[in-house]
Amino acid sequence: MKGSLLAASLAALLHLAAAAAEKRVIGGVEEVILLPWGVRLPARIDTGAAGSSLDAREVRVAGKEVELRLAPEFGGRTMRLPILRWRTIKTPEGKGRRPVVRLEVCLGPERIVTEVNINDRSDLEHPFLAGRNLLAGRFVVDAERRQILPPQCPLGPRPR
Amino acid sequence: MILPIVFAVLAALGPAPGAGETKTTIGAVEEALLLPWGVALPARVDTGAARSSLDARDVRIDGGEVTFLLPEQYGGLSLRLPLYEMAAFRTAEGEAVRPVVSVELCLGARRIRALVSLNDRRYMAYPLLLGRSFLADGFLVDVSRSHVLKPACKGIRGRP
Repeated sequence: MKGSLLAASLAALLHLAAAAAEKRVIGGVEEVILLPWGVRLPARIDTGAAGSSLDAREVRVAGKEVELRLAPEFGGRTMRLPILRWRTIKTPEGKGRRPVVRLEVCLGPERIVTEVNINDRSDLEHPFLAGRNLLAGRFVVDAERRQILPPQCPLGPRPR
Repeated sequence: MILPIVFAVLAALGPAPGAGETKTTIGAVEEALLLPWGVALPARVDTGAARSSLDARDVRIDGGEVTFLLPEQYGGLSLRLPLYEMAAFRTAEGEAVRPVVSVELCLGARRIRALVSLNDRRYMAYPLLLGRSFLADGFLVDVSRSHVLKPACKGIRGRP
């Protein structure tokens, strides 16, 4: 009885301490894993972008869902995801619209559910772009370094 | 009884090992001074950009020199600087060739010489963009913060 109480308070303290600990340092490029598919993608860590985005081919809107295909270099998997909303993008040619979906990604030890806009950027170097919405409160970026925090996420059901 | 445990746990989990002891943490937006003129410019801190850039109008290349105006809202100074190089940039519009000059910036207490490309940034929120080549010089970026540093370089006169 006393032991379990001590264990519980220790667990609570550890949780508190983890929250107080410093944010994890990541480099200017990191590998992320798209869950639940387990697709590994190199990601550009971009503090200049408000949102995150996924580079995809054959982006097609079907009702309230978007269908897309990852580039063949990254397995070419087809995905079908509910559209949360649309994001208007200003480009030199005028305004563009991109579907925004919710994706779960693994970055370092963290499973993160985040909003991502779908975009055919044909950026084969970094098909995933992690913007401020994903980074805030979790990571600090050391742009001089690359791939310093490999994805190592606990498996199991989706958090929250 | 509990407090010592809290401190022990916090100490154990505290700053992550090797987490930039010697690097300075800055936010997603910082104020920099353009030296020697002391012009204060809000800067977007952008790990997604390889290089830095400065908002310049009426850019003219004249032999080995570049003349340009700073935007009116930042004093509109007319400047003449040696042309460092012409460099090709990948932009949203495709390839662009822009002049690059070397400028001295004050960020926090540090004076830093930086290469910046000159281009018209009137449709962007910030007149100065600090990219990876600048940030590699000892900075960590925490996007959950902004204006972490106040320009405090020695021997600078007030703003014009």
